[in-house]
Amino acid sequence: MPPPNPPTPSTPSDPPDLSDSPGFPGPSGDALVASGVTIREAGSDDAVAGVTPRWVALPESTEEVAAVMRAAAEHDLAVVTAGSGTKLHWGPPPTRCDLMVDTCCLNEILEHVAGDLVVRVQAGVTVEALAAALAGAGQQLALDVPIEGATIGGTLATATAGPRRLRYGTARDLLIGITVVLADGTIARSGGKVVKNVAGYDLGKLFTGSQGTLGVITEATFRLHPLPAARAWVTATVPDLAGLPGLAAVAASQLEPSALEVDRPGPRAPLTVTALIEGVAADERAKATADLMGPTATITPTPPNWWSHLPTDHPTPPGTNLPPEPQIAASPDLPLAHRVPPGTDPERQAPPGTNPPPEAPVPLGEEAPPLEPRVPSEPHVADGEGFLMELRVPPGAVVRAFAAVGRAAEEAGGIAVHVRGSLASAVLHLALPPDTTAPAAETFVAALRSGVAADGGRLVVWTAPPDAAARLDRWGPVGAASLMRRVRERFDPEGRMSPGRLDVGPPPAANHGA
Amino acid sequence: MDPELIKDCVHCGFCLPACPTYTLWGEEMDSPRGRIHLMKQHVEGTPLTPEMAGHFDACLGCMACVTACPSGVKYDVLIESARAEVERVHERPPADRAFRALVFSLFPYPRRLRALRLPLRLAERITPRLRPLLERLDPRLAAMAELAPPVARPIWLPPRIAARGRRRAVVGMLTGCVQAEFFPRVNAATARVLAMEGCDVVIPPGQGCCGALSVHSGRAEEAARFARRTIETFERAGVDTVIVNAAGCGSSTKEYAELLSADPAWAGRAGALRFLDFAEFLAELGPAAERHPLPMTVAYHDACHLAHAQGIRAQPRALLGAVPGLELREVPDAAMCCGSAGTYNLFQPEAARELGDRKAEQVLTVGADLLVSANPGCTMQIASAARRHGEHVQVAHTAEVLDASLRALSPKTLTRPPKPSTPRSDPSLEPAPIPASGPALDPASGPGPGRGDAGTGTVGGERAR
Amino acid sequence: MTPALAGLAGRLKTILGPGGVITDPVRLRTYECDGLAYHRATPAIVVLPETTEQVAAVVRACDETGTPFVARGSGTGLSGGALPRTDGVLIVTSRMRRIIEIDVAGRRAVVEPGVTNLAITEAARPYGYYYAPDPSSQQICSIGGNVAENSGGAHCLKYGFTVNHVLAIELVAPDGEIVRLDAADPGYDLLGAFIGSEGTLGIATKITVRLSRAPEVVTTLLAAFRDVEAGGRAVSAIIGAGIVPAAIEMMDALAIEAAEAAVRCDYPPGAGAVLIVELDGPSAEVAHQFAQVDRICRDCEAFELRVADDPAERAAIWKGRKSAFAAVGRISPAYLVQDGVVPRTSLPAVLAGIEKLSARYGIRVANVFHAGDGNLHPLVLFDDTEEGAGERAERVSSEILDLCISHGGSITGEHGVGVDKSRYMPKMFTAEDLDTMQLVRCAFDPKGLSNPGKIFPTPRLCGEVPGVRKGVHPLVASGEAEQF
Repeated sequence: MPPPNPPTPSTPSDPPDLSDSPGFPGPSGDALVASGVTIREAGSDDAVAGVTPRWVALPESTEEVAAVMRAAAEHDLAVVTAGSGTKLHWGPPPTRCDLMVDTCCLNEILEHVAGDLVVRVQAGVTVEALAAALAGAGQQLALDVPIEGATIGGTLATATAGPRRLRYGTARDLLIGITVVLADGTIARSGGKVVKNVAGYDLGKLFTGSQGTLGVITEATFRLHPLPAARAWVTATVPDLAGLPGLAAVAASQLEPSALEVDRPGPRAPLTVTALIEGVAADERAKATADLMGPTATITPTPPNWWSHLPTDHPTPPGTNLPPEPQIAASPDLPLAHRVPPGTDPERQAPPGTNPPPEAPVPLGEEAPPLEPRVPSEPHVADGEGFLMELRVPPGAVVRAFAAVGRAAEEAGGIAVHVRGSLASAVLHLALPPDTTAPAAETFVAALRSGVAADGGRLVVWTAPPDAAARLDRWGPVGAASLMRRVRERFDPEGRMSPGRLDVGPPPAANHGA
Repeated sequence: MDPELIKDCVHCGFCLPACPTYTLWGEEMDSPRGRIHLMKQHVEGTPLTPEMAGHFDACLGCMACVTACPSGVKYDVLIESARAEVERVHERPPADRAFRALVFSLFPYPRRLRALRLPLRLAERITPRLRPLLERLDPRLAAMAELAPPVARPIWLPPRIAARGRRRAVVGMLTGCVQAEFFPRVNAATARVLAMEGCDVVIPPGQGCCGALSVHSGRAEEAARFARRTIETFERAGVDTVIVNAAGCGSSTKEYAELLSADPAWAGRAGALRFLDFAEFLAELGPAAERHPLPMTVAYHDACHLAHAQGIRAQPRALLGAVPGLELREVPDAAMCCGSAGTYNLFQPEAARELGDRKAEQVLTVGADLLVSANPGCTMQIASAARRHGEHVQVAHTAEVLDASLRALSPKTLTRPPKPSTPRSDPSLEPAPIPASGPALDPASGPGPGRGDAGTGTVGGERAR
Repeated sequence: MTPALAGLAGRLKTILGPGGVITDPVRLRTYECDGLAYHRATPAIVVLPETTEQVAAVVRACDETGTPFVARGSGTGLSGGALPRTDGVLIVTSRMRRIIEIDVAGRRAVVEPGVTNLAITEAARPYGYYYAPDPSSQQICSIGGNVAENSGGAHCLKYGFTVNHVLAIELVAPDGEIVRLDAADPGYDLLGAFIGSEGTLGIATKITVRLSRAPEVVTTLLAAFRDVEAGGRAVSAIIGAGIVPAAIEMMDALAIEAAEAAVRCDYPPGAGAVLIVELDGPSAEVAHQFAQVDRICRDCEAFELRVADDPAERAAIWKGRKSAFAAVGRISPAYLVQDGVVPRTSLPAVLAGIEKLSARYGIRVANVFHAGDGNLHPLVLFDDTEEGAGERAERVSSEILDLCISHGGSITGEHGVGVDKSRYMPKMFTAEDLDTMQLVRCAFDPKGLSNPGKIFPTPRLCGEVPGVRKGVHPLVASGEAEQF
């Protein structure tokens, strides 16, 4: 067993070799220009987690990406791929970065056969642009992306997903074909444009979550879903963890919620849980869901304002995270086991004629409102200044995970950790206050990792201020670390693709294979 | 081993989960698909090796694979021809030969079985002490001793019993060898139920073995001999429908025409006789007699030779389910063999024991008052497996349950261990349609104190006749 | 057996005990093929391990002696994926069949690879859960084999494939190392890449699967049409209406005839095509969708509709469909099964093309297919005693795959490539595509010992992948790998 790869220190790469490029273009720049692809000199706005490349290539097709990559290979240039840059600051900085391949001009929807429920797009198409185009046909890519403006390529490379992962899975589950360009310029495709296909290795899976270290994703083909006829959100609040299992049970019900999300602004704050019900009988099922979720449950035609947002992007101050105004009473015939708030009459919460009728779920179709119409009301934490972490545990361990977060926050001196994410799939995003000290963050991460270790939990530190980032193991132990390294060495033997951005370490030998 | 029949197998593997030995050992060559492959090797020229013979011997012949096969492969025909080939060309080790000879000279002969009664009664008392010794000597002998059912008091059945009420049919009845000797109450109950349902029941005396044990062990000639004798017996009795209450006998009698196909005259005579399972016949006949309530829970065990070989699953369940107050429960993994399989538990005691343990465990999870099956081997096997684990499973034949219902007996007569009984008929037991029998023919098996109490493996509580 | 293999067999016996190693030639031959009996090779040694550690020890022994090995579950695959190597070891997982854990709260189960697909569902059923992927062979196919082939099933239209339902895998890598791949791991989705790799990247020894909640309601509808074309229109209309049924299956007249012959499924007489549509989910949703499907089928001139709501009635409807493969044996002495996929909108054109091929070569083709996802299972019928019929059937079969590829489809939707279809891979993928896939293979299995000869027609050795890469490979430089 090779020694674990230590977390890469975030030392920026050496300054560009001036003998090679006394000025733009220089020999390697010449080669890039000679590839026929639009090349520009990079500026500080192009920095990747603090590391500024020398050039930016703006290819418009897979072939152009290949041409640029061949030129980069000839001149040993380290390459980072960027989409719209929404997550470029996630993860450790590259150890070298000469060329940025910007996919902004790979922005065509290449093929959409509505009858096949399949779409083929270039990697630079944004999720929003794709959604708008598909909505015309009453279809959707059933993938919630927690950051606005993200491209398809970036979403795949970072494997981000949102609330509806519960019903539809994540990008890897919806991706049916992929085109990539490897470090040496080789164009490779796998999968195809049929949903059912087991011919050959699935390179799409491999590139999902690859953080740009295996090659450049240039095209992707997805299976689509019909837009649901209607949607309704059911929200309930519980004061503490004791109430969480009851709400989590919604995921195990036969009501088939499309999503079940949780938001807790601080370790001692109440927990808000929202279920999304989609489909032809959404209103009816939403009522049944509300019955299950207890007396505080309310049904709304729009999501709560934190829905499908990262806690860092839209931190909700404690106390303001109240559920929206009730639109409809919870179940009129609550089982006795449910607590009825004092002063309420469970029999007569919504007498006909006195209250407005329950608002119908929003019918969706061509004039459907976008799923995330909200503008964050809080100031956005600047890139690289805040802490964003992702905690994954088995769904059966989600309550223990919340408890572990609380204990770790306590151990780190009482940090106000904001937790938000999927209650049913047990993928939780954590935001720490930006002023958390590096040692406190380090204590928190170590304590939380050990707190969820017994359940097989994983904690990834996506963003952290530079001083903390230098001390943190971004990935935690990964059982497949050595296989991942071997795969990367095969795809990129010279280590030129986003070097240092995904150096995961194996678990300690004792736990190995457990 | 007809190559054309072998070719029908497309190697899909659907038979694997149904096969008891595959379930036990997880080996391809101990699965139906693997055994067919071995047959294929043999017909293509590979000599019959001891390994090959071992894998054929290990087959229980439960025919669950025949049920599971989507391609209609006739594994039943194939394995019987493979067994015949093994008997023909394979030289078994001397100890095996001796043991097999013992079994085949004993079981198909009711009189010899009867002669065993005394030693068996002795064995009942000494088995616990004898067992370790036998186990060391030969596990097969130990298995034989352990499986031996408690000795039952014989019940004499008259050659003809008249239908009660309007006569709806005249049927013959096969008494069988093991059934007749060890489970006489089952035969009595069968005859009574048939009569109460409006059948004249003809029971020719001097019936021998139907040939089931022989044909299932590759002894085709011996089987044919038994078959011819059975056919003759019922021809002489003047019936064309014969009711069989033991699953193994039922499946082999139904195959007489094939067994005797080499001789067209005999095949024709076989074809003229209609052998029917007890439950199959009653379901076809429809109920006439009144069913009285039997408030109890019953788990029904599918005997392989009934469910798989004869495809009779629904009929016994329907008969039992129609008894008022009787709650029928399914045993998990019902299609799996209990390991008894005719002589299998004698020749392959370890595998049989393991399968018996599994089956008993599943039967016990059902928590029923009574386990009902249509095969004496199955009930002996499951009861003795349960006994090994200190549990008690009360067993009965479908006929006994119906008999109790038709005669308005208490469920306790089925679940209580048998009491010492007197040979005389008790007038309070009416309606007992069978003419009162005299004392048992065999003086050795006359009534004796405590004899009937030994039984846990047999139907309890049914009073004489 | 060569002395080297005899030596290996001895070593394996010390690992597994004599009962876990098969070397008798007669016994070995029963392992010569999987569900695709057309390809045969008798393995040199068969082993029946019972634990992960035993598998790892066997694989290490193979690695150290340079012996190829092939994993096999229940041996039901239809692409020859478990075809043994005559010079290698066949590692059979049929004794690794413990269900280790049913975690109801976490909606997952942990099982060994030899556990059958259906056994997981049966273990989960008392809790109201089931394992969603349901290949037709679910009562016997092993979950390890499902992982290797990324198996689907009739219900994968709505619920996806094995890869969408496996959460973690413990595997023995081709060098004998025990590795855990977990969906929660950051970085490359190696779990996803491993699933469907047909045993070429290692052997799964422990599998964590997702359990799905049994739907509240399941309704199955059988619609009979005069011809396949009308049935096809109904499929398009159902999908076009925004409905994702749990399954949409179609059978043509010849397939119906075979099923009737085998199981007397009693489909409506005179049907040129039957469509089976299964809807499941919350009752309110199913009721609404059922009304839509019912109307659509009538609009598309279905002349008879049957509806089943309880398990027995549903089983009666599915009986004909599920028996279809084995049933064609009743109307034809021999047959080939294909597994091509086409975009759903190309179905009419491809079916017409198949009809033309059938006429041109004088070979009957029965069609059974997963209409919802365009996965065709043409059954190419021929008489193997007739001169040249086998060759013509092969040609029809092969041209059907060409037809699928030309419509932007795939050569295999669920059976896998195995040995059977590896020769078609270059028609579907470029040399660059295949070389890139080989990079994954070389990362996991640089010596090429794990199920060699499958998927890829003529794989390059791991040292000779072309391209403009420069310099000595770091693994070669460090002595960790050999170039050969």
